[in-house]
Amino acid sequence: MSLDLLPGRVVGIVGETGCGKSTLGHSIPRLLPEPPAKVKAGKIIFQGTDLLRLPKWRMPGIRGTGIGMIFQEPINSLNPAFRVGDQIAESVRIRKLRERGLMPGIKPEVKGFDYSKRELPKASDVVTGPFIPPNVSQTLKARGVPMTKEIHQEVLDFLRLVRINDPERIVSLFPHELSGGMRQRIMIAMALSGKPALLIADEPTSALDVTIQAQVLTLMKELMEEVRTSILFISHDLGVIAEMADELGVMYAGHLVEFGPVAEIFGSPRHPYTKALLRSIPNKYKDEGVLPSLSGSVPNLSHLPEGCTFHPRCPLARDVCKHKPEPPLAILPPGPQALLHKSACYFPEEVPSMP
Amino acid sequence: MGRSWSDLVVFILKRLVQLIPVLLGVIIITFFFTHIAVSNPCAIWSGPKASPSTIEACIRNNHFNDPLPVQFYYYIEGLLSGNWGVDPLFHLPVLPYLLTTFPETLELVLTATVMMIFVGIPLGVVAAASNGRIADHLVRIFYLSGWATPTYIAGVILAIGLGPLLGVTGGDFSTTSAPVPQITHMSVLDAIIALNPSATGDAIVHLLLPALALAFLNMGIATRMTRSSMLEILPLDFVKTAKMKGLGDFWVLYKHALRNALITTTTVLGVTAGTMVSGTVVIESIFKWPGIGLYAYDAITGYDFAGTIGVVIFFAIVVVVANMISDILYGILDPRVAWR
Repeated sequence: MSLDLLPGRVVGIVGETGCGKSTLGHSIPRLLPEPPAKVKAGKIIFQGTDLLRLPKWRMPGIRGTGIGMIFQEPINSLNPAFRVGDQIAESVRIRKLRERGLMPGIKPEVKGFDYSKRELPKASDVVTGPFIPPNVSQTLKARGVPMTKEIHQEVLDFLRLVRINDPERIVSLFPHELSGGMRQRIMIAMALSGKPALLIADEPTSALDVTIQAQVLTLMKELMEEVRTSILFISHDLGVIAEMADELGVMYAGHLVEFGPVAEIFGSPRHPYTKALLRSIPNKYKDEGVLPSLSGSVPNLSHLPEGCTFHPRCPLARDVCKHKPEPPLAILPPGPQALLHKSACYFPEEVPSMP
Repeated sequence: MGRSWSDLVVFILKRLVQLIPVLLGVIIITFFFTHIAVSNPCAIWSGPKASPSTIEACIRNNHFNDPLPVQFYYYIEGLLSGNWGVDPLFHLPVLPYLLTTFPETLELVLTATVMMIFVGIPLGVVAAASNGRIADHLVRIFYLSGWATPTYIAGVILAIGLGPLLGVTGGDFSTTSAPVPQITHMSVLDAIIALNPSATGDAIVHLLLPALALAFLNMGIATRMTRSSMLEILPLDFVKTAKMKGLGDFWVLYKHALRNALITTTTVLGVTAGTMVSGTVVIESIFKWPGIGLYAYDAITGYDFAGTIGVVIFFAIVVVVANMISDILYGILDPRVAWR
């Protein structure tokens, strides 16, 4: 699969359970446990560096200030043994150390996250400086290492940023003393406090109940306006994606089957799977009887069907789809908005009239 | 909440109150076992050439002709007034002797525990981090060999094989070259208090091998518990969160993951500390370490009832206190737990 994420853009990834959305999200900052996971081939280019070719010990330098991540389950994603304030402070400290060149790693953008006018840094610029362990405070104090007080102030600022009204009280609490929605806010604050150039949100609202989901989504939407960072927003909920994303990628069985601007994909989907997905969203106003659904389920990723992986469930499938290899993600002829729209189907032009 | 310091004090006091029934039970069991098993040890105590009148006097002095409950009453009465009985051979009081030998054992056990904590636990982390790879197997070989080795063999190998290399000859690890005033009866601590660097070094050399033997045999428990709880914790999301902050592997493992894994390890170490104290019986005999373990051996084989019960009381106190300490640590490590 191939995916481009431009600075300051929000790309949504949508797909059924088990289609590899989270694996995709985890593979970018190389979080997949190796072994058993192994990224065999391909490239993950982040700010000009191929992360897959970076030695493992340099990955921490990419994380935090380069790539941040919000996980699916706020219940498990905070360390139960530390106060939430200290957990955020750790992230702030790492960023400040990197800002001052005292810790190896990507330097966060100081003025906003607008990369559009800037050339991408060279690979050699990405990781600089000698290795200094992050916690040897005494010797480093003299060299301008951030003080506890200024870190504490920033922690409070970031908590206010995620609309927590009494941050002074919250910082001294442990994760188990907070509700799921609060924990996810803390997670968001923690991820943002590293000022990452890319934020991966792996189903950040799926584990929350509906009212809290709406609150957290509204918050994220507002934050997107405030901190212009690139976001990879993973979700199984098309409605959520439509709200959040600029561009949308649809995943099926580990492949990206359609990619394009959200409006265009929702307006005129060019892959039968996307079309089927869109049709299964219940309509708010009228009762249409049985909700159309796609028969069958996502194939086992270790026994993918031959040819196009979607052909067993595809209403447009014909012999070509079964025998010709997997169709590539091809650029479609420009639609009404003349924006880049890609589809991995042999017959994208037939999709609008799909039964 | 149950997590403030006043709660901790209440918790400790409660545990100390609980110590009383435990001790009473231990005393009853040991007393009746010893006195029923050998109802009249006076013949043995007085030796083969003793005259009937000597034996008669011995029986009278020790109330061996009275019913057992009466004997028990006399014993408890003495115990509470600080008279823990006398040793039958030299007629020396038991309590002062226990009070001087016990710190020696405590020193040994504490040193071994520190070794287990600072070697055993990191080894467990290393093993978990390299799960299934070569380092994991090496660590397993190391701790399993400690576990599988009989105490006496490991002790003898260390005492005879490594002892001379450290300058301890004859397998006697009790004596130090420079005598220092005995204040705490812990050889290293006394030497430090006396501000005598050569005696300190000497005491540490003497302490090293017995403690190493004790630690090596019990290391497996710390390593194995740490490894398995680390393996449970490493796949959790908060470990990924820690990585995604940009922390290096060392801090992810030893700060975020180990902090949570230690919760289980601490509990097990508390139980082990009790076992280790009784494990000193063999270790101290091999290394001729002048601790309570060696005394326990002599007391049991010499039909020294007062000594045996005294040793058992000390062992029971150690077990209860070790468990209390591990429970306190458990509360410190896990903020979700309250001290009650």
